[in-house]
Amino acid sequence: MTVKTHLRISQFGLRGIVGRGLTPAHVLDFSAAFGTMLGARSKVIIGRDPRASGQMIREGVASALMACGHDVIDLGIVSTPVIQHAIAATDARGGISIGASHMAAEWNALKFFGEQGAYLSTAEADELLDIYHLKGFEFAPWNQLGAYSRDDGGIGRYIGKLAEVFDFAALSGFRVLVDCCNGTSALILSRLRDQFGLNLVLINEQTEGRAFAHEPATDQRTVQMQLAPLIKHVGADAGFLFDVDSDRVALATENGEAVSEELALVLLADEMLALGPGDTVIANLSTTALLDEVAAARKGRVVRIAVGRNSAADALSGFRREQVAIAGEGTGAVMMPQFRFVYDGIASMLAILTMMKRRGQSLGTILSAYPKYSILKGEVPLESHRIPQMMDDIESRYPDARKNNLDGLRIDFDDAWFHVRVSQTAPIVRVIAERRGDPPQALFEELMDTVRSYN
Amino acid sequence: MSRAHQLKISVSGIRGVVGGFFTPNLACAFAQAFGTYVGPGRVVLGRDTRASGPMLEHAVTCGLLSSGCEVVKIGIAPTPTVQVYVAETRARGGIAITASHNPPEYNALKLFNAEGLFFNHYERGELLELYHQSAFSRVENAGMPGIRFDMESAPRLHIERVLKHVDVDRIRRRRFRVALDGVNGAGSEMSVRFLRDTLNCELHAISVNPNEPFPREAEPKPEVLGDLRALIVRENCDIAFAQDPDGDRLAVGDQTGRILDNDDVLALAVDCVLRRLPGPVVVNLTTSSAIEDIAARHNCKVYRSPVGEANVVDRMKSVGAVIGGEGSNGGIIFPAVQYCRDSYTGMAMLLDRMAETGMTASQMAAALPVYHRRLGKAGFEHGRLGALMQALEAGFPGARIDRRDGLKLILGDGWIHVRASNTEPILRIAAEARTMDRLNELYGQAERLL
Repeated sequence: MTVKTHLRISQFGLRGIVGRGLTPAHVLDFSAAFGTMLGARSKVIIGRDPRASGQMIREGVASALMACGHDVIDLGIVSTPVIQHAIAATDARGGISIGASHMAAEWNALKFFGEQGAYLSTAEADELLDIYHLKGFEFAPWNQLGAYSRDDGGIGRYIGKLAEVFDFAALSGFRVLVDCCNGTSALILSRLRDQFGLNLVLINEQTEGRAFAHEPATDQRTVQMQLAPLIKHVGADAGFLFDVDSDRVALATENGEAVSEELALVLLADEMLALGPGDTVIANLSTTALLDEVAAARKGRVVRIAVGRNSAADALSGFRREQVAIAGEGTGAVMMPQFRFVYDGIASMLAILTMMKRRGQSLGTILSAYPKYSILKGEVPLESHRIPQMMDDIESRYPDARKNNLDGLRIDFDDAWFHVRVSQTAPIVRVIAERRGDPPQALFEELMDTVRSYN
Repeated sequence: MSRAHQLKISVSGIRGVVGGFFTPNLACAFAQAFGTYVGPGRVVLGRDTRASGPMLEHAVTCGLLSSGCEVVKIGIAPTPTVQVYVAETRARGGIAITASHNPPEYNALKLFNAEGLFFNHYERGELLELYHQSAFSRVENAGMPGIRFDMESAPRLHIERVLKHVDVDRIRRRRFRVALDGVNGAGSEMSVRFLRDTLNCELHAISVNPNEPFPREAEPKPEVLGDLRALIVRENCDIAFAQDPDGDRLAVGDQTGRILDNDDVLALAVDCVLRRLPGPVVVNLTTSSAIEDIAARHNCKVYRSPVGEANVVDRMKSVGAVIGGEGSNGGIIFPAVQYCRDSYTGMAMLLDRMAETGMTASQMAAALPVYHRRLGKAGFEHGRLGALMQALEAGFPGARIDRRDGLKLILGDGWIHVRASNTEPILRIAAEARTMDRLNELYGQAERLL
């Protein structure tokens, strides 16, 4: 494999396998670019997930930010939403989350946030990349460097925010099984269990730096293998699985069924549209069409955007806060207006439990009311220079279908759709096809074959 | 100022002005080269009190971890303390983040091997090669080492070594009145505890707050120690000490408020050691001939080395020296403590000698052989150095020649030493003679020829 597969620099920021692709030079340069973009001396809040490489990366991030004249406040090992809330709670101008989310332990990454803990817009992400590539860093003079300090109160304040939105006492009747994947969710959930009376049964609770009990992916397959089989044993009302930095969630029903990763957003969209006032759902082109059907039933509308949190940030900025009911993706990443539009797996879990409580229905019962959609997802490693030709090829095969080129190619038929796009986080082409009813197997296979033929 | 002067990456390491020149990226890359060179294991990291120290400490830690070294942070510590701690704890190596006596806008990395010593010339060349080629070891997540903190034991380990070589009780009994100027440097707190608590001195200290900037020029030269001299007189002190920001250099004032010549301080230390432990002495080529006179009193031999602590230490090890140092730089190297310039060893030795003899500081200085010295510098154009040296040599036809570091012309009643600085684009001129007239004659002649 080429080095390219171990390092990915994109609008999402920096991501790679430490030692094989991701080096201190990348970390320092990216952080110095961010420090330069933020301008005059300010506060920057950082935190990391438990990966062993996180400590090395934190040192590099801190030095570059300090060299640019920014005071660095380190929250230690915390979830990404904790960092975003800490930014919003102070006059910090931005923040950096060090962690590779749902990826395996050998990976690490930097995620960047602006004021109020917001995701960078595509324009800001582009500016960051430009500064990174030009290496035109603006370092402060020797006597105006930033200072570094630790703040261990981040999780406590975050839980305080959760308590303002959710009624913990009302949720304590649910027995909930949670797979923490050895990540940061454990640090928050153990306190909700021990101090706030939630009936949580945590597995893989110990935070780990070098190896996770299993790949921390929030998809149906992982839930099926790791979490669902245990549900009945512990007599849980629901099961949840978090990625390492706890911005995503996956679920299992009380019957031990692994739920599609597409459905966390659908469930919460249904609930938020019902509660109002927002009537708009923001979701990317790869997310299930069930969302449109559920939204329509609630007289809401779905705004489709390109994949990625930068695009979500762009879209959010175009609406008044009260217009938006919810935003998210079919990956288990969901953000809600009550919680400052931060992708937050734990807030999503609490919102789903609250929904169950409000309706007086089990998770399985709520889900069984939705019509059946079947989605197929695939990926093919591909050299980038053949991608335009491939896209043209696929597009030419469906001259009469509805076409959307906002992010790669999405084609919509009456009862099905597909989306072919290049991943921002890995050098692969993603293929997604969905149909109301049974899986669109033939369509999916044909697309995969076509994509593979360009390999 | 030229770029060359604001950033210098050489076999001596990396040094430069922070804020555009000495960036965290360079510090990190240099630490990666160092970590690659010393290999996986513990590396000790300390720093002086410069404003850029914390920022560079993070960058260096990042580089060390990424190349597989566990980092042991000892916080603010004098350079000799870092060196002793490396040796005592059997670490792979150590890094002191300090630009020593350079102005506060500078910083640098001082690199030490497993014995807590500067790398020799060949090792430094190899390390620099690793840096230039970016040929770094890179560990992956599964093998990533961590960070340890030990903010307590380093000063204790250092002072324990120093105290083995003096009679602590007799120093304590005298309750000396001591003035101290710590330049708010790395030694500030440690020096106060050492002099006031360990050696029971009545301490009058200024500039011993490591959180404040340097209140004076960092190099402890007589002309910048006015406050200390006033303190000596006001508090009627027996002796005064001044350190540089990383606590390797020592300046000494006597009870009259006079700052002793650095060569005389070294001469006193040499005398102290040779009385008890006769053996070879090593000093650099610019150090006073007083060292030879004192060594002769004890029937000991003096060896000369090129200027630079690493050069002096190399020579000391090869000849088995019992004491050494660099006169003009205010550095006493006593290998029984550690092969490094160490202000704490110097302070302890002088107080011990005063306790032993009952002499005042000025009486001890007055017993030294009398020489007159003059140090100066001159700019020169690149490419002209050889011609200047030839002209100088031709101007003193009868002189004995030593070319190990620039040009030293040794005459019967004095000497002249001219060399290009390692750290600045200048020529350093030093001359010494028995009489002031002869000194002026030699120095003037050299100046005209250059």
